[in-house]
Amino acid sequence: MKCLFVSLLVLSVVSGAYGKVDLVTLPARDTVQLTIYNSADMTLARESRALTLKEGENALQFSWENTLIDPTSLEMAPRSDAGGIDIAELVYPPRVKNLGVWNVRSAAGGKVPVEISYLTSGLSWRAFYMGTLTHDEKTMRLQAYVRVTNKSGEDYENAQVRLIVGKVHLLDEIAALARREYPYGRPERGVTVEAMHFDGDAKKEIRRMDRLALAAPAAPTAAFEGPKQIVKEGLSEYFLYTIEGTETIPNGWSKRLLSFDIDAVPVVNLYKFEHERYGASVVRFLSFKNDQEHKLGKTPIPGGTLKVYRAADAQEHLSYTGQSSFKYIPVDEDVELSLGHVSDIVVEPKLMEYRTDNYRFDPRRNISGWDEIQVLEVTAKNTRDIPVKVEIRRNFPTTYWTLQRSGQVEEFEKVDQDTVKFSLLLQPRSERRFQYTLTTYNGVRTEDWTRLSQ
Amino acid sequence: MNTERRTLIGLLALLCAAAVTEARIKLVALPERAATVIRLDNPNATLIEEERVLTLQKGLNKVDFSWKGVQIDEDSIRLQMLDHPAEVTLLSVSYPPGEAALVWEINSAGDFAEKVRISYLLRNIDRLITYKAVANKPETLVDLKSYLILRNFSGEDFAKARVLLDYGAAFEQGINHEETKQMLFVNEPNVPIRKVWKFDAALLPWDPEQLNNQNVGIPVSYEIANNQKAGLGEFALWGGKARLFQQDGHGGTIFLGEDNAALVPVGEKMELYIGDSRDIVVTQRKMRDAQVNLRKNNSGQVVLYDTDELITAKIENFKDSPAVLTMVQHIPGQWDMEQCNFKYTKKDAYTLQFEIELPARTEKGPAVKELTMHYHRRNVRSDAPPAPGSPPMPLGRR
Repeated sequence: MKCLFVSLLVLSVVSGAYGKVDLVTLPARDTVQLTIYNSADMTLARESRALTLKEGENALQFSWENTLIDPTSLEMAPRSDAGGIDIAELVYPPRVKNLGVWNVRSAAGGKVPVEISYLTSGLSWRAFYMGTLTHDEKTMRLQAYVRVTNKSGEDYENAQVRLIVGKVHLLDEIAALARREYPYGRPERGVTVEAMHFDGDAKKEIRRMDRLALAAPAAPTAAFEGPKQIVKEGLSEYFLYTIEGTETIPNGWSKRLLSFDIDAVPVVNLYKFEHERYGASVVRFLSFKNDQEHKLGKTPIPGGTLKVYRAADAQEHLSYTGQSSFKYIPVDEDVELSLGHVSDIVVEPKLMEYRTDNYRFDPRRNISGWDEIQVLEVTAKNTRDIPVKVEIRRNFPTTYWTLQRSGQVEEFEKVDQDTVKFSLLLQPRSERRFQYTLTTYNGVRTEDWTRLSQ
Repeated sequence: MNTERRTLIGLLALLCAAAVTEARIKLVALPERAATVIRLDNPNATLIEEERVLTLQKGLNKVDFSWKGVQIDEDSIRLQMLDHPAEVTLLSVSYPPGEAALVWEINSAGDFAEKVRISYLLRNIDRLITYKAVANKPETLVDLKSYLILRNFSGEDFAKARVLLDYGAAFEQGINHEETKQMLFVNEPNVPIRKVWKFDAALLPWDPEQLNNQNVGIPVSYEIANNQKAGLGEFALWGGKARLFQQDGHGGTIFLGEDNAALVPVGEKMELYIGDSRDIVVTQRKMRDAQVNLRKNNSGQVVLYDTDELITAKIENFKDSPAVLTMVQHIPGQWDMEQCNFKYTKKDAYTLQFEIELPARTEKGPAVKELTMHYHRRNVRSDAPPAPGSPPMPLGRR
């Protein structure tokens, strides 16, 4: 272990003078568990150590110099099987930086297993995905990975690694708490952060780490036993991923682990057209559902970036289709991954007719109401050799409207007061054409619309 | 050890000659500080009370009270005679120029070793409260711990003092300058909690589809009642940072989130916002907004109208546990509900609150409920400002 982080000294108390210490033992950590969050730079670390206490008063000194831990989060608790321990107080002594003393009363002398937990920053993880479409683009192999990175300044050896998916509410950044001059700040003046100082040091530190990383041998790997499993379970509003066994992630290193690998997830090639949102061209989406039918649905899928490839030929060469970042997907929710604008599917709405009608006049013979009638023809072309689904959204400038459709189209869906959606299924290399007549009501004609629509 | 900060709240009994001269004569004998009380019941200021014995002579005495390296609110300094309050009288207080000091003029009826209590507000010494709550796995109970954090940056070392909060017994505690101490002072296991999910239509986006690849989190909070049923209710819970954890079922915990708790008087509830749920999804849409019952002036312009509005909100629970969603809707101005398929309570003239029970997701998919509100806003004037206290139009509208 490079830096001695919560270094514990069991001291016998010498009337409050921490300098005159009677060192009893310096225990190493037995086990360590890291619960790493991805919505914030935060990790909950829990380690167990066996302290040797004497009967009566004991002072335990610990320090956290050169680490990124939040000293206010430090907690020590005797393990459930250790009785007779009373942790009276935690003192951050004056004029000593990065140091705390636990005053502990013990009913008996001997070894006492304790658990020390704290929040630290510098460890992170993210999810990312690789999708490989089959040649017919009906199914996709979906491989999910997590990448855990350690920039905490601490080497964690044989740590049980757990990852949390979810959005946690934090008041302060852990890294900022770690940099405070005094753990709880000081009254009135607020929190003093030695920012300038620290930033400089941190940069130096990182540079040093880089050099170390280049010069270091490859990270130790376990004997080949096949990829590790990740156990997933829900807790409160979060999802907890527990990586099988333990991991050693030296400071400065990251590690990629396979989260899941599903061979043939059925996908729909969905194309969307909405002029106000995407402009004149069509945007491609890959659509599937996080459910059992799609061989998924066991757990939510954490947000991340998906790179999509396509089988280019029978020799399993690949072609890169594009990438999409997506949000967290709960179980049973639909997924729509945007792969960007395309030109092989074309949607073209064309105004074919424009007229006005049903004029109303006020007593002074000024116009007080009228209708506008627009006939549009929409052409949807699929130039690809696979069937695709196309969704066309039309937004209207008013809520007073009626619409009739004709041609090769199913009934439209009213999305909200001024939006409709047409859905089409296009066969390979085919074209569909349909018309709709939009009547908008203006002025006093809105009253007629209201009467008719009630 | 830093000697510069050694401060002193010193007290000099001045010899008082009958013929008062310009120069003050400071007596060398410094009365020892006896019992000291640090009173932390006011979150804005800390009151120090200390007892000392003054050797007074019959007649007029001058006592000099001075300090260095500490910040004392001069106007807060009080002197109280404890042994002979009727015979020892404080005549005046004067402040010498350019000094952190004051001079008491005391008239004594006899030669007394008078015990006095001096109290003053001392700056840069205070206390914080923090909470740590560990919820059980079903999130029905928490083990609630509260810590008192004493911070002393006042410049003064207190070797031994009685520390008083606004409740509970006083305790002995020494605290040096620049020292911070954390002490456990509430440890209450199995406090019942209620978990609340809240969708406020004025605060959250209506249509998640309109957001590109962003989840709309539904804020999640816990409610803890400060009452006897919860094992609490003895005193107000002070405000402070609260961190929530949850047992993970494997002997460990996960961190759920943190929030600043406000002061919670007895009988009230502490509400702690811990994070957002992305497993409950609300899609709210306005399906109709038309003007009806138009009233016009002689020029045919509409001057007064009602509206006919229809709002739908689809609520999906993707969680594998049930939940109760608190949904807040806002309708400005004068309005009446024509039809609404869920019961609501009117929180005020313009605010409706629904408690929507969502069952757990099943194998068939998420549990779905759909709220429909068909309402009319009445007597909307084409030229009029919105009704008093009306909320602004909801943010979620496109």
